[in-house]
Amino acid sequence: MESLTGWWDDFFWGSLVVVQVFFVSLVLMVFFGLLGSAAKLSNSKALQKIANGYTIVFRGTPEILILLLFYFGSAITLTAIVNVFDPSIKFVDIDPFWAGSIAIGLIVGAYATETFRGAFLGVDPGQIEASRALGISNFNTFVYIRIPAMWRLALPPFGNHMLSLIKDTALISVIGLQETMFVAEQATANTGEPFVMYLAVGIIYLSFSTIITLTVMGYEKYGNKHLEVGK
Amino acid sequence: MNFDFSLIISSIPQLLEGLGLTFQLWIFSGIFGLLLAIVLMLMRISGKWYLSAPAMVYIYIFRGTPILVQLFIIYHGLPQVEFIRESFLWVVLREPFGCGILALTLNTGAYVSEILRGGVKGVPKGLGEAGAALGLSKMHRFIYITTPLAVRLAIPAYSNDVISLMKSTALVSTITLLDMMGIARVIVSETYAPYEIFISLMIIYLVITWATQKAFALFERRMSRHIIQ
Repeated sequence: MESLTGWWDDFFWGSLVVVQVFFVSLVLMVFFGLLGSAAKLSNSKALQKIANGYTIVFRGTPEILILLLFYFGSAITLTAIVNVFDPSIKFVDIDPFWAGSIAIGLIVGAYATETFRGAFLGVDPGQIEASRALGISNFNTFVYIRIPAMWRLALPPFGNHMLSLIKDTALISVIGLQETMFVAEQATANTGEPFVMYLAVGIIYLSFSTIITLTVMGYEKYGNKHLEVGK
Repeated sequence: MNFDFSLIISSIPQLLEGLGLTFQLWIFSGIFGLLLAIVLMLMRISGKWYLSAPAMVYIYIFRGTPILVQLFIIYHGLPQVEFIRESFLWVVLREPFGCGILALTLNTGAYVSEILRGGVKGVPKGLGEAGAALGLSKMHRFIYITTPLAVRLAIPAYSNDVISLMKSTALVSTITLLDMMGIARVIVSETYAPYEIFISLMIIYLVITWATQKAFALFERRMSRHIIQ
């Protein structure tokens, strides 16, 4: 344990990066998930096909492959674009933070698409009819009836998606983001104690997972407070 | 930047050279992981706290941390510990291949045991009671009544986990193994053509995923053949 002395602050800043990636990719995941489920539930065949292609590709290939494709692909594309204006520039890349967050948001968004789709379909059509009978507008029906009812159904799998998100952040160290795995690598190079360092990373991630699990459990109780199961 | 289709054609055979390693990792850790999962699941439903508590802690730890961290602890970390280097485990941990299989096995075991437990819990209680009324022992009830039904219930979730195990095998490229992902990273570093190589690899992985889903769908249909729809 004494080998961790001097590395506490590095691990702290690394954890902060993990939290940042988590929140950015969480927003993206919800965005892509809602967009994907809306496309799958729409009447347009073309939109359905695009959404199906999206979920098949992002759920069927390894996360690390998508991450590397995003990072190196965006770098080569950006370099080509920049070279049009200034041929002297040899290499441009986007920040691993953004490449990683977007890639993870897209990957878990594909899983969230299926969750949201199932949850929207699980809303009792009688509720929608009732709101229509009361003269509530389509938009208000969506915001005040569909979303709260769907949310209750989507929350348990959504919690699992958040756990996937936090665990996938560890992969971003592969493209050079300075989060906890990266810190552990540096600390190992300095101290020669990989076991302690990676164990520390494991404990950090375990505490994040615990926080997420407990938050989702509490929120589930809150979301079900009107129902019998919540009491 | 231009998209080179001939590079896709020429890289696919190279990538497929890693298919054997990917499959070895997938199948070995899949089988060992399933055995581990059965043990963990039996511990969990045993009703004895000294069996279920360790299983719960194990599952909590392995599901709560990224598999990359687990892989690095095993590959980079464990050789640092003296008594491991002197024990029989060293035969496995000396090679990155053994580390990869160990990490994938330990990880998938935790997930699959929860899936199996879900299957067992999904079997209606009345069936077990009927078996008891017919004089079957507890063990016979579990083997002949609960297990076949639980397997059928667990297949859809289990197939998802088998696919995610296949995807996880790509992570061994970070510990110097040359599976398909590892070969792709080498080719990209030589040709600097990430789109062509990585997209070819995506296609290969998608085909494997698709075939796995189809195989499990067939298996599920076979297991459900007595059910009147």
